[in-house]
Amino acid sequence: MHRRLCLGVLASLALAGPARAAYPDRIIRIVVPFPPGGTTDILARLVADRLDKCFGQHAIIDNRPGASGNIGTKAVAGAAPDGYTLVMATVNTHGINAAVFKSLPYDPVRDFAPVTVVASTPNVLLVNPASGIADLAGLIRLAREKPGALAFGSTSTGGSPHMSGELLKVMAGIDMTHVPYRGGGPMLNDLIAGHIRIGFDNLPSAIGHVRAGTLRALAVTTAERFPTLPDVPTMAEAGVPGFDVPAWFGLLAPAGTPRPVVDLLHSRIAAVLAEPETRARLLELGAVPGGMSPDAFGETVRREVARWPAVVARTGVQVE
Amino acid sequence: MDDTLANLVHGFGIALQPHNFLFSLVGVLIGNLIGVLPGMGIMATISILLPLTFGMPPVAAILMLAGIYYGAQYGGAICSILLNLPCHPSHAVTCLDGYPMTRQGRGGVALGITMLAAFFGAAFGIVQMILFAPFLVQIAFKFGPAEICTLMLLGLLAGATLARGSALKGVAMTLVGIVLGSVGSDLDTGTSRFTFGSMSLYNGIDLVAVALGFFGIAEFLKSINTITVGDLSGVKVRMRDMRPSRADLREAAMPILRGTLVGSLCSLIPGTGPTIASFIAYAAEKRVSRNPDKFGRGAIGGVASPEASTHSSVQGDFVPTMSLGIPGDAVMALILGALIIQGITPGPQLMNEHPDMFWGLIASFWIGNILLVLLNVPLIGVWVKLLRIPFRFLYPCALFFICVGVYSTNNEMAGVIQTLVIGVVGYGLMRLGFHPAPVLLGFVLGPRLEENFRRALMLSRGDLATFVDSPISATFVGLAVVLVGAQIYLARKARVPKDPAKDTAKDPDLAVAGRRAVVLEES
Repeated sequence: MHRRLCLGVLASLALAGPARAAYPDRIIRIVVPFPPGGTTDILARLVADRLDKCFGQHAIIDNRPGASGNIGTKAVAGAAPDGYTLVMATVNTHGINAAVFKSLPYDPVRDFAPVTVVASTPNVLLVNPASGIADLAGLIRLAREKPGALAFGSTSTGGSPHMSGELLKVMAGIDMTHVPYRGGGPMLNDLIAGHIRIGFDNLPSAIGHVRAGTLRALAVTTAERFPTLPDVPTMAEAGVPGFDVPAWFGLLAPAGTPRPVVDLLHSRIAAVLAEPETRARLLELGAVPGGMSPDAFGETVRREVARWPAVVARTGVQVE
Repeated sequence: MDDTLANLVHGFGIALQPHNFLFSLVGVLIGNLIGVLPGMGIMATISILLPLTFGMPPVAAILMLAGIYYGAQYGGAICSILLNLPCHPSHAVTCLDGYPMTRQGRGGVALGITMLAAFFGAAFGIVQMILFAPFLVQIAFKFGPAEICTLMLLGLLAGATLARGSALKGVAMTLVGIVLGSVGSDLDTGTSRFTFGSMSLYNGIDLVAVALGFFGIAEFLKSINTITVGDLSGVKVRMRDMRPSRADLREAAMPILRGTLVGSLCSLIPGTGPTIASFIAYAAEKRVSRNPDKFGRGAIGGVASPEASTHSSVQGDFVPTMSLGIPGDAVMALILGALIIQGITPGPQLMNEHPDMFWGLIASFWIGNILLVLLNVPLIGVWVKLLRIPFRFLYPCALFFICVGVYSTNNEMAGVIQTLVIGVVGYGLMRLGFHPAPVLLGFVLGPRLEENFRRALMLSRGDLATFVDSPISATFVGLAVVLVGAQIYLARKARVPKDPAKDTAKDPDLAVAGRRAVVLEES
C-alpha cells in the first residue's frame, strides 16, 4: 500500500521537472542536536529510515548534542545551503531557547529555511497515582492552599516540559517549586517512587507509564486531546482555558537553500509521514505525524520565537 | 519459581535460534573490540549500528545492542591493566592496582582475575534480574534525592584517600575533581560555571576526556622521559604466569563478592552507572581490606573488586530498564530508543507484553557472557604480548585511537582538546606527586552529590533534617561520621610512636608478597 504511495509520489516528482534531477545525488546529513536515544533522535532516525526505503535516499544521523541543542543547531546554521545538511529542530532550538538564553549563537528565523514538521507531541502533566491528586482542579486547589509547597519535576531547566509548568503557574495563578532533572528517565523514576508528586514530561517517554497506570496523566498541554489517549483531557478542558504548548520536532535547512530543493524535501518527507505504517508507529510512540508546508512551518517557528519571551519574563527563568 | 524456570528455558529457546545467536555473537564481538579501543564510546558504536537494526527482528536487534554494551566491559580492563590507559571510565580505577601488577610482571594474573571477577559479577547480575527484579525495583524506589546525596557523600569521604601517598594530596585532588565536575551549565538555574564563554564547555567536561587525559595521556608523557629505562617490553610473560595461583584466587574471592554487591546496588539507583560503582567498590574494598597499604601497589583486591562491581552493575542496569522502561543511563536510553523504533513502547508492561524479548535477552546474557569468557581467556596471552611492542610504536597508536574515540563521544574537536590539556596538566600534577585517581572520583561523584543535595532540599523546602529522616540516608550519614571520626583518631594515633604489635601484624603479608616476587623472578 505505502509502496504504491511512494511510487506515486516518485512518479509525480519525476514528471515535475528534469531540472531537479541533480538533487539529491549524495547522502543527506541530518544533524540531531541532542544525544542518541531521545525523542528527537528517534524521530529523525524513523524519517531517515523511511526516506531510504521509499526513495532510496540515504540520510545519516549526526548527533551533535550540547547546550540545549544550540551546538548542533549552530553547526547547521553555518552549513552550505545545498539541501545536504538538515537539522532536526525542536520547539526548544527554534522557540524557547531564543527567550531563555541571553545570547543565542544563531537566529532561529533568519538563519534557516524551514522544511516541515515531522511530528508534534503534547507535554503531559503527571502525578503519582498515590499522590491523592485526582485532577488538575485538585492540583490547583492544593497549590493555592500552600503556595510554593508543591514541587513539580521536569526534564531540564528551560526545556519545553519545564516551560509548560511555568506557564501553568502563570495562567492558573499558582505557585509551585520547579525541580529539574537530567532528562525524563530520572524524573519518571522519582515520580513513580513517590519522591516527587508532580511532573511534566514529553508524552513519548511517559506514555508507557500512563497506559500501564503507574502514573496518572492529569492533562495534555496541547489544544486537542491525544488520539490514542482519549481519556486524558487537555489543560484547557481541565480548567486552564487557552493553554496550548505543543512540543514539535521539525527539519530545517540552512537559509538560502534553493526553494525547489526545500519543496522536494518537503514532498518526500510528507509522503513518508503519510504512510499508514509510519503514522501508526508515531501515534503509538506518542506523537502526531506532521508534514505541514514549509511556509506553515516557518509561521510556527516565528510564532514560537515571539511567544516565549513574555512567559520567561514573567517567571524569571534565564539561562546564560 | 517453576514459571521462572519455564520462562528461562523458553528464553534459551529463543536466544539459541540461529539468527538470534549469531546477532548475540556479533554484538559481543563488536563490544569486546571497542572495549579494547581507548575512548571509543559504547554510545557512539551503538548509534552508528542503530540503523542496521531497523531491518532486523526486534529480539535480534536488542540482543545485539545489549551484547555490545556488556561485551565492551570485558575489553575495557585490558588497557587499564597493561598500559595504565583506561579505555572506558568505568575501568579507570582498575589502573590503580592493575598497572602496578603489570609492572611486577603479573599483568596476566591481573587479567585472569579480571575475567573471573567479570563473569562472577555478570552472573550475579543476571541471577538477580531473573529472581528478584520486582523486589529490586522496590529497593531502587527507596533511593530518593536525599539517599543518593548521602551515598555520594559517603563515597567521596571513603574515596578521598583512594590513591597511595599523602592523604592531604588525595583530598586536594578530590576537590580539584569536584571543581572540574562543576564546569558547565548549572542544572537548576542554567548559569554557566567556568565555561569562559565557550559553548563546548557548556555541557561540562567529558568524563572520557578526564579519564583518558589524567591516566592515558599523562602516563604517555611520563613514559617519554623514561622510555629508554622503563621499557616493559623486556618483561617475559609465560602462559604459566597468566593463571592466577590458588593464593591469588583466595585473595580475590571476597573482594569479588563485595564488589559484586556494591555494583548491584549502584545499578539500581538511577544515574549511578558502572563508573560510580567501580569507584565505590574500590574505596569500600580499601576500607575493609586487612592490608590497605597494599592498595595502589598491585593488590589483587584492587583489581577484583571494581571489575566485579562494573560487570554486576552493567547487568543490573537492565533491571530498571527492562522491568520499568526507565533507562538507568545514556546507553540504556539508546537501547530503549532502538526498541521504540522497532515499535515496542518501553514501560512497566514490557515484560508481560513481550516475554519473548525479555526472556530471550536474559538467556542471551548467559550465552554472551560465556562466549566472552571463552573468547577472552585464551586471548589474555595475546593481549599481554602488546607489551612487547616498543613504546615508540605502541603509544602513538594509542594516542591516535584516543583522539578518534574522544572525538566520537560528541562528534566535536573540543573533546580532543580537553583531553590533551587535561593530560598535560595531569602530567605536571603527577610529577609533583599528586595521584590522578581522586580527581576522577571527585569528578564523577561531586556533581551527583550537588545535584541531589539541592534537589533534596528543594523537595524538603530547605529542611536539612531530610538527610536523616529516612533510615537509609541516616545510615549513610552515620557511616560518614564514623569514617571521618576514625580518620581523625588514626591520624592522632599515628603521631604517637608506632605501636609495635601493629607492625608485626603487618609483617607476614609483606613477607608473602616479597616471597612471591622472588618466585616470579625465578620462574
